[in-house]
Amino acid sequence: MDYEKLLNMAAELGYQLMYSGAEIYRVEESVQRLLHAYGLERPEVFAIPNCVIVSVTTPEGHPITRMRRVPAHGTDIELLEHCNALCRRLCAEAPPLDEAQARTAALPEETPRHSPRWMLLGYGVAPAFFAPLFGGGLWDTVSAFLCGLAVGACLLYGGRFIGANSFFRTALCSALAALLAMLLVKAGVGRSVDVVTISALMVLVPGMALTNAMREIMAGDTFSALSRTADAILAASAIALGAAAGQALGGLF
Amino acid sequence: MEAVFLDYVLPCVCAFLACVGFTLIFNIHGCFGKLIAGVGGALGWLVYLLAGSTIFAAFLAAAAIGVFGEVMSRVRRCPVTGYVLVALLPLVPGGGIYYAMRHCVAGETEPFLNTLLRTFGMAAALAVGAMLASSVFRALFPRLRRHGKRSP
Repeated sequence: MDYEKLLNMAAELGYQLMYSGAEIYRVEESVQRLLHAYGLERPEVFAIPNCVIVSVTTPEGHPITRMRRVPAHGTDIELLEHCNALCRRLCAEAPPLDEAQARTAALPEETPRHSPRWMLLGYGVAPAFFAPLFGGGLWDTVSAFLCGLAVGACLLYGGRFIGANSFFRTALCSALAALLAMLLVKAGVGRSVDVVTISALMVLVPGMALTNAMREIMAGDTFSALSRTADAILAASAIALGAAAGQALGGLF
Repeated sequence: MEAVFLDYVLPCVCAFLACVGFTLIFNIHGCFGKLIAGVGGALGWLVYLLAGSTIFAAFLAAAAIGVFGEVMSRVRRCPVTGYVLVALLPLVPGGGIYYAMRHCVAGETEPFLNTLLRTFGMAAALAVGAMLASSVFRALFPRLRRHGKRSP
C-alpha cells in the first residue's frame, strides 16, 4: 500500500474537519479511526486549533509524518457533517486510496453553502429578533435589523478593505453597529440605544468559541481550551473597545 | 392570558426566529437542522424565563438545551452538537459585555467589576450546564447511544 498517499488523505480529512470548527477530540479520533481502517496499528494524531500533525509507522518500521497548518477559521456545520459522514463511510468500506483521496478532495466543493445574500439576511434577522428578548419594541427591532445588515455587509463584503485580522475586524464591526444604533435612535427610528446596540452585537459575540473552549476542557485538551478561551476573551474585548469607540463617535453628532 | 402571551410565548417565538437566523450564518442546511436549532433556542429561553433570569437560570437553560440535543441526536441518529451550539447563542451574555464597557468608560469601577464578574459567571454557567447535562445523559442512557450513533 502507498502509505504516503494514505497519510496525505488522512491529513487532508483532519484539516477539513478542523477547518469546519470540529472539536479536537473529534479530529484526532476520526483520523485515528480512518488510519486504523486502512490497517495501520498505531497511528499518532495531534491537533490544536490551528495545526494538525499525523504520524504513522509503516509495517516495515519506517516512520512518516505530515503536518497541516490550519488558517483562522469560523464554524461551518454543514462541512463538519459532510466530513463526519465521509469519515464513517471510509472507515466502513475502506475503498481504494485513489477513490478515497478524490472524495476527500471534493469535500469543500460538494458542501452546499448559503449564498452571501442569504447569509446577509441571517445577519439581519438574528439581531432583529434579539431586540424583543432584551426588552425592545417594534421600532427597536427594525433598527436592530438595519444594524445587523450593516455588520453582515461589513463582514461578508468588506474583507478586502478591513483585512484578515480578526481582532480589528470585530472591533470595526462593533464600532459600526454602535455608531449606527446611536444615529438611528437620534433619527427617531429606534427607542433605546442600549437595546439596539446589544442586539446588533449579538452576532459578533464569541459564543461558539466559548462553548467550544469549555468542551475542550471537559475532553481534557487543555492546550486547545486555553487557546480558544484566549480567543473568546480577545473577541469580547474587541467588541467592548469597538462599541466604546462607536458611541464616542456617535456622541459627536 | 395576554400576559402569558407577552411574557413567555412572544419571547420564545423571537428566540426561535433568532436561532433560525443564526443557522444561515453558521451554514446549517435542511429544514430539520434549522428546526432543531430554533426549537432548542426557544426551549432554552423558556427555561431561562421560568427559572427567573439569573445565572442559575442560565445554567438550567443550558442543561435543558444539552438534554434536548442528546434526545435529538437519538431521534436523528447522528450527532447534533452543532445545532445545540446555535441554540445556546441567545443566552450568551452580549448585554453583559456591553454594560461592562459602558461602566468602564464612565469610570464606575464597582459596577464595572460587578457586571464583568456576572458576565463571566453567565458564560461559565452556560458552558458547564450544557456539557454537564449531555455527559450525565450519556452516562445514564449508554445503550441508547449505540443505537443513536452507528459508529461512535
